Amino acid sequence: MKAIKLASNDNVATLLGDVEKHEVVEIISADNEVIAEIKALQKITFGNKIALCDIANGEQILKAGHSIGKSITEIPLGQLVHVQNVRSERLDIPEAIIEEIIKQMGIEK
Amino acid sequence: MTATFKGYPRPNGTFGIRNHVMIVAIDECCEGIARNISKEIEGSVVVTNHYTCMYGGNEEMIDTIIHTGINPNIAGVLVIAMGCGSIDPELVAGPVRAEGLPAHTLTVIKNKGTIETIKDGIELAKQLKAHADSIERVDAPVSALRIGIKCGGSDTSSGLASNPSVGAASDKLIDLGATTMAGELLELLGCEDILKARSVSPEVGDKIERLIAEDLKRWHVIEGTETMSIGNSVGGLTTIDEKSQGAMHKTGSRPIQDCLRISHIHREKPTTPGFYLTETTMLCGGSAMHFASLGAQLILWTAGAAGFNNSIVPVIRVSGNSSLITADMDINACGIMDATDTIDNVSNKIVERVFAVANGDKTNLEGVGYAYASLYQKDQRLEHVIGICPQ
Repeated sequence: MKAIKLASNDNVATLLGDVEKHEVVEIISADNEVIAEIKALQKITFGNKIALCDIANGEQILKAGHSIGKSITEIPLGQLVHVQNVRSERLDIPEAIIEEIIKQMGIEK
Repeated sequence: MTATFKGYPRPNGTFGIRNHVMIVAIDECCEGIARNISKEIEGSVVVTNHYTCMYGGNEEMIDTIIHTGINPNIAGVLVIAMGCGSIDPELVAGPVRAEGLPAHTLTVIKNKGTIETIKDGIELAKQLKAHADSIERVDAPVSALRIGIKCGGSDTSSGLASNPSVGAASDKLIDLGATTMAGELLELLGCEDILKARSVSPEVGDKIERLIAEDLKRWHVIEGTETMSIGNSVGGLTTIDEKSQGAMHKTGSRPIQDCLRISHIHREKPTTPGFYLTETTMLCGGSAMHFASLGAQLILWTAGAAGFNNSIVPVIRVSGNSSLITADMDINACGIMDATDTIDNVSNKIVERVFAVANGDKTNLEGVGYAYASLYQKDQRLEHVIGICPQ
């Protein structure tokens, strides 16, 4: 399965299909060139993001060249980057809704 | 790449890509009269004030009608009033005439009633149509091209495929000398710093921030508000910042010349070619008429869903969602989603399509179905109450 890294300084890539835990993901650039292979640390579904490097706690998550929020914990290479480990820098999703998203998606914490 | 398009020259120096006669029902009671006239005139479009026959409090909407009347795609205007309300049809016809376009008015109760007015209206509209038909397309500079950019029914593919492709097309069109415009300020929540950095001056940056904040207040977005659906998040959007940036990608990367205000006292328009933010509403139907009033000749629409059309400003549809690719869709961006196509390549197709449509090719849904010319306006009284009514 492929995941697209939209800008060169991004630390996440977006999955173009579903991957299972331990499956290898081909990371492609916006020009469709394969630039890396990364093993997914958990199941990640289409449209979600995978960490392209180890991300420290409190670091900005960069997608398409811009910050989409900050990590609230260390995020290892290959991990799903989503509501369980990132918060908005502008206006958070209410906590109860985050819990519901984690439940619906079966995210391993 | 061509640096010109074939447009209909207007007396005020603009160039239309369509050549419509516009029939205005300036109060709601005239709608049927306007439609009966329009039935007899090929290529005519009806714009109705469906709110009221009173002027006070509706200045913003009437102003949208006036400025749509001088949109380059309009060759002439007929304004019908019932005559018992307070909106003088000359309010619209006067400014249209001042731009050098033919404009007529009919007031039903001064014109022996509905039946006679329809007869007279058809005669006047035929004159306008004959005038329109006498105008031929000529070479027009790309700098005369204004394009609105809008998204609707967004999904995962919008942020990854259709929005970035339209953004890249916008950059290319601007580099060729055109003007592009986006609106939906509410949906740029969380993008303020990025947009400020793209502004041509700190003043424009501050204006963007202020007008986004006003829209958040207008739509009552506060701490604890659900700004995204659970479906958005399950689909992969982690924060409102990410969702907004997905929408922002359709605006490309060129400098932001200004953030143009639309209100009962402001109708700011582009002054030099380039990219503009505007107060164009996020509501699809109303947005088309906002873009029309700012002089846009066509709209690029990134679609997670179908719908949305306008009979004055043609709409080019772009989608990266394979389940939505039907005969309605102008540009298929699905190849980006399975890594068989690139944003750069799709954006080239969009630019080509823009020029083809500007030169007269119909968009896939142009003239198909029916689109009401929705007129959105802000509630001035409410704006006063929440303290954001511009003075």
